[in-house]
Amino acid sequence: MRRLPAVLTLALPMAVGLPGAVHAVPDGSENEDTGLSLLRRSAMAARGQPYEGTLVSTSGAVLAVRNSPGTGMTVDRRAADPGTPAGGLLAPSDGMLRALAANYRVVEAPAGSACGRTARVIQALRHDGRPAARYWVDAASGVPLRREVLDGHGRVAMAEAFVDVTIAAPLPLAQSAPLARTALGSGTLTALRARGWSLPSVLPGGFELAHAAENDGYLKLGYSDGVSVVSVFVQRGTLDEERLAGWRSRSRDGNTIWIRDAAGREMIWASGGHVYTVVADAPADVVEAAVRGLPHEAEPGFWQRFARGAHRVLSWVNPFA
Amino acid sequence: MSHLGERVSALVDGELRHAERERALAHLAFCADCRREVESMRALKSRLRSLEGPPMPADLTMSLLRMGEPGDPVPPRERPFPTFGGVPLPGPRSIAPPDNRPRGASGASSRPGRSRRRPAYVAVGVVSAAVALGTLFVVAGQDQGPSVSPPVEVFKQVHKTTAPYGNPPSATP
Repeated sequence: MRRLPAVLTLALPMAVGLPGAVHAVPDGSENEDTGLSLLRRSAMAARGQPYEGTLVSTSGAVLAVRNSPGTGMTVDRRAADPGTPAGGLLAPSDGMLRALAANYRVVEAPAGSACGRTARVIQALRHDGRPAARYWVDAASGVPLRREVLDGHGRVAMAEAFVDVTIAAPLPLAQSAPLARTALGSGTLTALRARGWSLPSVLPGGFELAHAAENDGYLKLGYSDGVSVVSVFVQRGTLDEERLAGWRSRSRDGNTIWIRDAAGREMIWASGGHVYTVVADAPADVVEAAVRGLPHEAEPGFWQRFARGAHRVLSWVNPFA
Repeated sequence: MSHLGERVSALVDGELRHAERERALAHLAFCADCRREVESMRALKSRLRSLEGPPMPADLTMSLLRMGEPGDPVPPRERPFPTFGGVPLPGPRSIAPPDNRPRGASGASSRPGRSRRRPAYVAVGVVSAAVALGTLFVVAGQDQGPSVSPPVEVFKQVHKTTAPYGNPPSATP
């Protein structure tokens, strides 16, 4: 019962797009390295400090999180959706932090508060100075308390935050090491491309390919710009549109795109004998821009298909073909 | 009695009735003009009858000869084509030569049967064209692969638990 008011306290400012407890915008004297280093230490604290609490997300997930050094982090599965908040807020990988540094200016803003605790605030700024994400990190322990991702209009598109948290006596953390480059092995990409898969290394918006693997007949590609994550699943074949109940179609550049959720973070389309499924944790405008870097061949018209069939039949009977 | 006029031709052809013919002959006895006209008409028709007729075309002659072949006329086919679902399809019998022989007494009743075949031929043509177009479309789509229904819920779980997010935390039941 004590949890409900706390959830509402988080949900209300998320719904109206308020920037949480940020009190001031950063000035020009802020140090970019300080912000990135602090975020890096926060990721380490998420794994190395003892704490437990309730984490809520704009996706609707309510998670009971418990982390014990040496034992690891546990997430109460009964609250569902354990993956995204845990990965996005509590355990950003080195690859995401490196992409964050490459695509954004990471600066520390004036201190604020979150979940009743004094917090240091970090902002990821776009090239034009507009914020793309904000992070609240517990000043004493470094545990991440809250994260907000903003769209191009400055509205909060996604957020995760602790609504109650108990942090035991903070442990000293090791000095953060420089971010190692964890790019995909060229051998993996070469092997996948040799099998006929198309793998864009970069998507518009600074999304770098961080993961590529073939599983059970589909290809999974993971892209991140450091703030958002876009997963692309590619299957060979044609899209069975009859089984897309609950999806709505939209035409773009002669291609039909199927979208299910209102936020535009799940979409399906077919192109060139492949079916693409995108699942993203990103603002809709960011997803829209990113997927433009993927194949979108216009569907062949009546005469194009007729001509293609005739050409193929002729090639069968042509002894010189 | 006035001159014979148009009755000259009927008189020459013997088409006048008896009474008219008697009056016409009586008139000719006293009218030299009508006599000359009747003589001219008779001479003309006699000359026309003496002319030879045009030669008969060879193909017409052969057609007439075939009409005289032994045997009964070929009965009309009850089912000119094999059918599939009521739609006629071309078969081996459909390439038989056309039957040009007359139908005799039953010929009149066979004419509607021939007219009924025309829609069948049209249907066969339409079906053939549809099959050809369908074949081309199927052939054109052969390299597109199987029909796919993406397992979106599975993909969402994979999305949450794999890189670039990193290794997910362990979950308690």
